[in-house]
Parts: sequence; structure tokens; C-alpha cells
Amino acid sequence: MSEKKKGKLSPVIDYKKHEDPFSKGVAFCPGCGLELLIRFIPQVMGNDIVMTGTPSCSAPVLLGQNNQSWHSLSYFGTLMTGAAANATGLVRYYNRAGIDNTVVCFNGDGTAADIGFGNMSGAAERNEPFIYICYDNEGYMNTGIQKSGTTPYGASTTTTPVAKGSRGKNLRRMNLALKMAMSKIPYAATATLSDLGDLAKKLLKAKEMKKNGFCFLHVFAPCPTGWGYDPAMTVEVCRRAVKTNYFPLWEAENGKIRMTKTVNKPKPVEHYMEPIKKFKHLDDNDRAILQEDVDYELCMLGGLSILEKECVLPEAAD
Amino acid sequence: MTTPRNDSQIKVITGNAAAAIGAKLARPDVVAAYPITPQTEVIEQLSLFHATGELDCELITVEGENSAMNSVMAASLAGGRVFTASSSWGLVFMYDAVLAVAGARAPVVMVNVNRETPGIIAVSCGQQDMISTRDSGWIFTIAENCQEVLDQVLMAYRLAEDYDIQLPVMVHYDGFYVSYLSEVVDIPSQESVDQFLSILKTQPERTKLVPGQKLGCGSHGILGGYLELRHKHVSAMERSKAKFDQIDQEFMDQFGRSYGGQVEEYCMEDAEVVLVGSGSMCGTIKSVIDEKREAGIKVGLLKLRMYRPFPSERIIESLKGRKAVGVVDRSLNFGFKGGPIYTEIKAFETQMGGAKLVSFIDGIANTDITKANVANMIDMTCDLAAGKDVPEVTWVSYPEANEGV
Repeated sequence: MSEKKKGKLSPVIDYKKHEDPFSKGVAFCPGCGLELLIRFIPQVMGNDIVMTGTPSCSAPVLLGQNNQSWHSLSYFGTLMTGAAANATGLVRYYNRAGIDNTVVCFNGDGTAADIGFGNMSGAAERNEPFIYICYDNEGYMNTGIQKSGTTPYGASTTTTPVAKGSRGKNLRRMNLALKMAMSKIPYAATATLSDLGDLAKKLLKAKEMKKNGFCFLHVFAPCPTGWGYDPAMTVEVCRRAVKTNYFPLWEAENGKIRMTKTVNKPKPVEHYMEPIKKFKHLDDNDRAILQEDVDYELCMLGGLSILEKECVLPEAAD
Repeated sequence: MTTPRNDSQIKVITGNAAAAIGAKLARPDVVAAYPITPQTEVIEQLSLFHATGELDCELITVEGENSAMNSVMAASLAGGRVFTASSSWGLVFMYDAVLAVAGARAPVVMVNVNRETPGIIAVSCGQQDMISTRDSGWIFTIAENCQEVLDQVLMAYRLAEDYDIQLPVMVHYDGFYVSYLSEVVDIPSQESVDQFLSILKTQPERTKLVPGQKLGCGSHGILGGYLELRHKHVSAMERSKAKFDQIDQEFMDQFGRSYGGQVEEYCMEDAEVVLVGSGSMCGTIKSVIDEKREAGIKVGLLKLRMYRPFPSERIIESLKGRKAVGVVDRSLNFGFKGGPIYTEIKAFETQMGGAKLVSFIDGIANTDITKANVANMIDMTCDLAAGKDVPEVTWVSYPEANEGV
């Protein structure tokens, strides 16, 4: 890293205090959001983290093949059904044995929102002291672009195809981060790749807060291959998701929700959808439904963030 | 009458309590479990031990069996001694992790309290859960009574964590019959159990997942890499047979009880007719054999204590040259007419020196394997020995089945 003038350090480079533990060339698609994220996490949090991962887009690189992997981290390749339970087992033993640890349970939205939601919810309820990071590419990208719980309304996937009588997913997406923030855990936050300083702060805060229990980070990580946009546009897609409030950035410390980035005069969600092929078939009516969903989620977030101040408990009986 | 050995304690306890006490005495680092009938008492006991401070461990009250197995797998690979318990649907709900544990060679120890399994909801005894999971790559042992449950849990740790083995071990015992039955149990002292397990500390340390040590586990095994690991797994399974016999001997030296290792033989010296059984039915079979012996019938019992790996050498050695053998199964082998253990023993028929084989299916869904039923099975096997015509398969408590099929 070259020396820069005092006060002019990039907020991103400043946070990258550790070596990149991954090989320079790895088996991800060009423009992969997940790759940016998976390289960034250990550079900020340190190379002594233990990562757990499941069959997913991250698997070829994180898990490796036979006795070879594409990085030098301690990792545990495991099952989608029990990812959070695996992290629980690790952290419980390390803490009992007095071994310093930062366990990062790193999963896609298929594991976090769908098949592994139950055990993630259980780990949150028990307040297990590890960090759960969901990289959300809004579907099962590795198995060939199928719908998941976080796939947005209208998106075309191979299990919600556009055909006669079908216009993509006809259900609204799950707001995973809000669900987790409601779990009375010490820390929950959203982040994305256009705001790396914000992401870095949240990673470090999670590393600090995990001493109090379960920490959850929901990271929006677009997929050029699965969504159909120019691989050079990944960070721009993230930026547009934030600017349109399609993916607002916030954090909740001990349940208190706070926006970490407020968007003044947000652009319509159409601006976010424009470069992405999975939305191309949608008409004005469909776009209005998606806009309504984005507005609804933002309202819910706003409502919850003022809850602390506005809530008046009824007077107790004598 | 049992007399205490050294500083052990005699108590009347259930099979579930025996399992919990066995686990406690092994000093596990991490225990994770989820309640299911008829196993629940095991985790209630462990939770109470934990609450009173008798058991110093991490207790994870998980939200389902799948998480129980996943938690103990990870804790085991991190280096901990672990324990869990389940039954029936619970075992099936954790099955993907059961397979992963075996593939990872994690020395997890658990008890499975046998109960009927999917298809028809049956809250009753049967070994179908054991049969449904037998090809998972775990070592399976089967205990007959409360004392043996406790003893097998202790032996299981010696077997699972042995440096030459490193495989998970599941101790099976019959739900309802053993789980809830109270019997006199000789509970060894903590010091003697510590001593029995201390040999593990003298062995090389197994590979562990340690933060910052640039070592992972759970890769994609492909082609040659996968073959290598699978072959090592199969080889370790084979080694575990003799190891289990050896551990049984060392258990004798430490605690004064021995069961014969992979199989237990009862009245086998001169037996011409043999029943092969496993689990709680063996107590009934032994008492009927005593009566038949008084009537001059040369009958014996071969009790399976290890089911996976299949103790084929010991079975062949034991059954070779007998006139007739009846194999009693408390489960079904869908796709075959005979029971599962019968079918497996049948595969070695040509090596048994002419011993004839028949299959008895009984004890399904809490139908009692009564003394009358056992006497009936012995009589039919004697008929077979005498050259009479006996059906290959008999559903002992369901005569209607024997008319058709």
C-alpha cells in the first residue's frame, strides 16, 4: 500500500489492515459481488477468523477440492440445513476451551432465508456469540438461478420464468434483515458493495459486538450472471439499490434501528431495475407493485426507528 | 445380586438415566439435544446435571435435531468431546448431518432410543430407525439392558475417539422397554471412568479446526480424493471390530464386566439350534433358553452387540456347523421378505457349514416378544433342524401374514 497524504486516506483502504487470504485468480464469474465481499471480509476483520460455508456460489472457492482450497483461512465446509448450528458448535467449544475466536457463518440467501432459516433463528434466540453474514444475490445462483425467499417481486428466474401465464415471481420478497433485527440480538445491519466504508465499519462493529451475542449482517451482493447485467456494473447496481431505497443501509444495536445512510430525494425503483435483465419484462403496473413494496419496507423501517422515542406504555394498574 | 466393585454405586435407574449418567461420566465438552419420545428423559437428566453443576459442559438447547447433530459435529471437529441423543423421526431429521459427521470422521457419540420410524406414526418400539440409517458410515452398537446402556456409552467414547478409528458411534437401545424400564445398575465412580478413558490422552491428537491455523475441513472430495477418503473410512470401520473386542476386555479389567465384544454368546458351547437376536429381546430369549435347556433342548443365543460394521467373522465363527439358526428382527427390510439382520446373515450362508436359516419378525410397534413367542421360534427352528418344512419368514405376532406372501 502506497503512502498517502495525511487526512486523505481512502476510507476503504484504511480499513484493509490485513492481507487478502485468497488466490489472485479464483473460480468466480467476472463481476461477482460475492467475490468482492469474500475478499474484503478477512482484510478488514483479520485472517484469524474461522469461516463456515455451505454448498453455494461460495463453495468452489471457500471449500476447495480434495486437500486444496483457494485461500489460507481456517474454514468449515458444511450443510445448508445446519450452517448456524455448526457455527454454534464451533464457538461454544472455542469459548469453553478458552480459544480466542471470531466465527463467521457465511451463507447465501438460500441458506439464510430459506432452508437454514430455522437454525439461524434458533442461534439468534440463544444469542450464540458469532457473526452471521448473508450475501444476498436474491436466489439460487449456483444451481442455475432459481427463486428464493429474497427474490423480489417480478424477477424472472428459472423457477419463476416469464412465459404465457407467468410474469416472474408473483410474491413479494422477505425482509430478512428486519426479521433478524426483531430477534433481540445485539447487532443487525445491512450493507452493500457500493458503500465499503459503511460495510467495513459494520464488520468491525460486529466483531466487537459478538462478545454480547449473535450478530447478523445482510449484504446485498448482485450477480451479473444470474440477473443479466454487464459485469462491469456490479458496484453501480449496488449504488442504485441504495439510491432508490431498494436496499436501504441501516443498523440495529440492541434492537435500536438507525439509518446509516439517508437518501434524500430517492430515485424511483425503475432506476435500479433499468440495467437488469431479470426485470426487463415488467410493465408500469408491475414496477408500481415493486415500488409499493420498497416504500412499504422503508416505512416499516422508519416506524421502527422512531419506536424507541414515540412508544408510550400504558399506565400500570395499582 | 450385583455387588459394588471398588467405589461404584448401585442404583435402580431407567435406561435413559443410565445413558445420561454414562455421558456425564465421560465428561463431554459440548452436549446438544432436542426432546423426542422415548429419548426425552436423557436430555432432561443431562440438563438437570448441568443445572446442579454435576456436569460441567456447554449445553446447547437447540431448536431441532438437525441442529443438535450439526452443533456436536462442529464442536467435535474443533476438538471437543461431544454427546447427543435422539430417536426415530429425530434421527431422520438429523440424517444429512449424520452422514456429514461420518464423512468428516468426527468422533461423535450419541444414543438412539429405538422407535418405529416414518411411514406410519408409531410412538412405540422397533429398530426401524436403526435400519433406516445403517448405511451412514457410523459404528452402531446395540445394548440389551440398562447396565449395558451405561457401559456401552463409555465403550463408545473409547472406540470413537481412538486414534486408529476416529468414527462416530451410535449406541442403540430399545425405546419403552429399556428406555423406561428401571433396573439395578452398577454406576462406576468418576475416578474409574477417568482412568478407563485416560488411554485416549496418551494417543496422538486428532486434527482439529483451530482459528488462524490455515486448515479447513469439508472440501469437495472429487475423483481420487474422494476414493481415498472413502477407502480410509471403510478400513477404519473394519479395524473397529477388533478394537471393540479389545475395549471389552479392558472394560473387564477396569470394571469387572465383559460382554464378549462384537457379539455375546449364551449357552452356545454345544448348541445345535441358535436364535440370533439383539437388544432387549435377548433377556427374554435367555430365560426361555434356560427352560428349554432344562427340557434337554440344545439351544443357544447369539446376541449382536455391534451392528455396523457387521461382525460377519464372529457370526460365521459362532454359527458354523450348527443345525439351524433363527434370526429375530425387530424391523423390516422393505424389498426383501426376511428381516434385515436375517438377510445380511443369509449372505454368509455358504460359509456356515450347512447351518439352515429362517427369519422371524417380531416386536414391531411394541408387540411384546413374549416368552411364548420365543418358545414358538425355538420350536420352529428345532423343526428346521429336524428336516421339517418351516417357512422362510414368520411374522410371529401376526399369523395372518404367514398365510399369504
